[in-house]
Amino acid sequence: MFISKSMTRDVVTTDKKVNILDAKDKMVKCKIRHLPVVEHDNRLIGIVSDRDIRSAMPSIILHDYNSREERERLSRLKVEDIMTPDPITISPSYTLQDALLLLQQKKVGVLPVVDKNGILKGIVGVRDLIRAFINVLGIGEPGMLLGIVVEEQIGKMKEIVDAITEEKISFGSILVARYWDEEKRAVFPYLLTKDISRVKKKLEKMGFTLIDPLQWYLEQLPKTS
Amino acid sequence: MKRTGFLFDKRFLLHKTGPYHPETPERLEAIYKGIEDAGLLPKLTLIKTSRADLKWIETVHDKHYIDRFNDSCIYGHKTLDRSDNQMCSETYETALLAVGGILDTVNMVMKGEIDNAFCAVRPPGHHAESDRAMGFCYFNNVAIAARYLQMEWGVTRVGIIDFDVHHGNGTQHLFEQDPTVFYYSIHQHPSFAYPGTGREFEEGNGDGLGFTKNSPILPGQGDEAYELCIKNDLLPEFERFGPEVIIISAGFDAHVDDKMSDVNLSTKGFSWIMQMIVNMAERYANGKLISVLEGGYSLKRLPELAKNHVGILLNGGENVY
Repeated sequence: MFISKSMTRDVVTTDKKVNILDAKDKMVKCKIRHLPVVEHDNRLIGIVSDRDIRSAMPSIILHDYNSREERERLSRLKVEDIMTPDPITISPSYTLQDALLLLQQKKVGVLPVVDKNGILKGIVGVRDLIRAFINVLGIGEPGMLLGIVVEEQIGKMKEIVDAITEEKISFGSILVARYWDEEKRAVFPYLLTKDISRVKKKLEKMGFTLIDPLQWYLEQLPKTS
Repeated sequence: MKRTGFLFDKRFLLHKTGPYHPETPERLEAIYKGIEDAGLLPKLTLIKTSRADLKWIETVHDKHYIDRFNDSCIYGHKTLDRSDNQMCSETYETALLAVGGILDTVNMVMKGEIDNAFCAVRPPGHHAESDRAMGFCYFNNVAIAARYLQMEWGVTRVGIIDFDVHHGNGTQHLFEQDPTVFYYSIHQHPSFAYPGTGREFEEGNGDGLGFTKNSPILPGQGDEAYELCIKNDLLPEFERFGPEVIIISAGFDAHVDDKMSDVNLSTKGFSWIMQMIVNMAERYANGKLISVLEGGYSLKRLPELAKNHVGILLNGGENVY
């Protein structure tokens, strides 16, 4: 779960002396929204986002885009003039969980990954986290989701895992949703199999309540009186 | 009355999946019995199977995978790739016979000896990927038939309609970059069903963008939802594409009484879908329609579903209720 496994390694970067219009072109071409700014030794000194660039551009409503002064002003603007210096960074030994919580707390779009000397090693953005989560959920592999309502009791999870393992079914993932009902949680094993009818029957026999997808579907429909 | 072919061979029963597995030889026996008891056999052109030439399997599957499958059977392995794919020493040969019979059927349709056909084969095929077995499937029967139609018979546009309750990931992946084969699938929503693919936004890619279409059905929905999707999703796409031949991946597991799914298609709903497809084949493909069995696990319902399916092929889509 270390971030070095989930980050993008081939980072598109820019020099601080680059004109902002060229930086913008680079972002559009590479379909990215953030450009880390690095020195020649790949040491991170800042980051520039597409929003930083847009803020520096004249408004098409208020300004005459093509006036000479505007063009001259824009051609003089360099990345270093608008970048965020010393952005929030993480180290390659950060975990996926660290990165998620930090992104949420700091309200930033990306986290550059740097080593202890400040050299850029990678970058983690929302897209990288989505990829990591698809991997964690196991949903890139064929399988079926089972939903089980479980009392908050030690040992219940073991019973479920044992019952499924006895059927020789492999796990893609297990998610636990807390507080499904009061004092109950919902367990969602994603099972790498096509046939879950037998394991469903078995779990019901053991006293577990399965979440019926039909019931679930009906409950989320808009209520009509 | 149409000249309808019926591919069935007792050797399709030789693929045994072991205890507690839903994909059993009894499924095929139930299908045969349903057709026999309805007195339809004398009206059908019975087709026996022959072993497929490996070169046709290789149009779709990786050579290493084919060898691996063969070796697994020779060494007596009980599964291939995943524990779902339970098999026996006869499975490889049975899979070759299934493909061979389907290709023979294609020849008969293309030579005009029959108008359409139902191929009651095992093992099924639509989950099989180019390089691995998946979801009880080993060789992708329908995909090989599509390639055969193109390479051997010069057909340029093949339309595949897959109404098995599970998405045909294998078939989709094999053709998603290919604008000459249109893949349409209607199935239980992937968040609630195997194999977890076949979402509305999977529409093909590259040159094949717009030549794949998926209609996911939520658990609890039935005839009405199917009718809506067939009319709104499938019809306009096939109108635009104009398939020269239509192949069906015919799975009967969307039936309300089938334990493998949570959608509620009725026997009548299945007939309605089949009539629509036969009408479409008439309109675009000069009636050329080849239906190939995929899933369907309710031994109680398979006889009536198979009987109606074949009955509609014979009647050319007239109302059979």
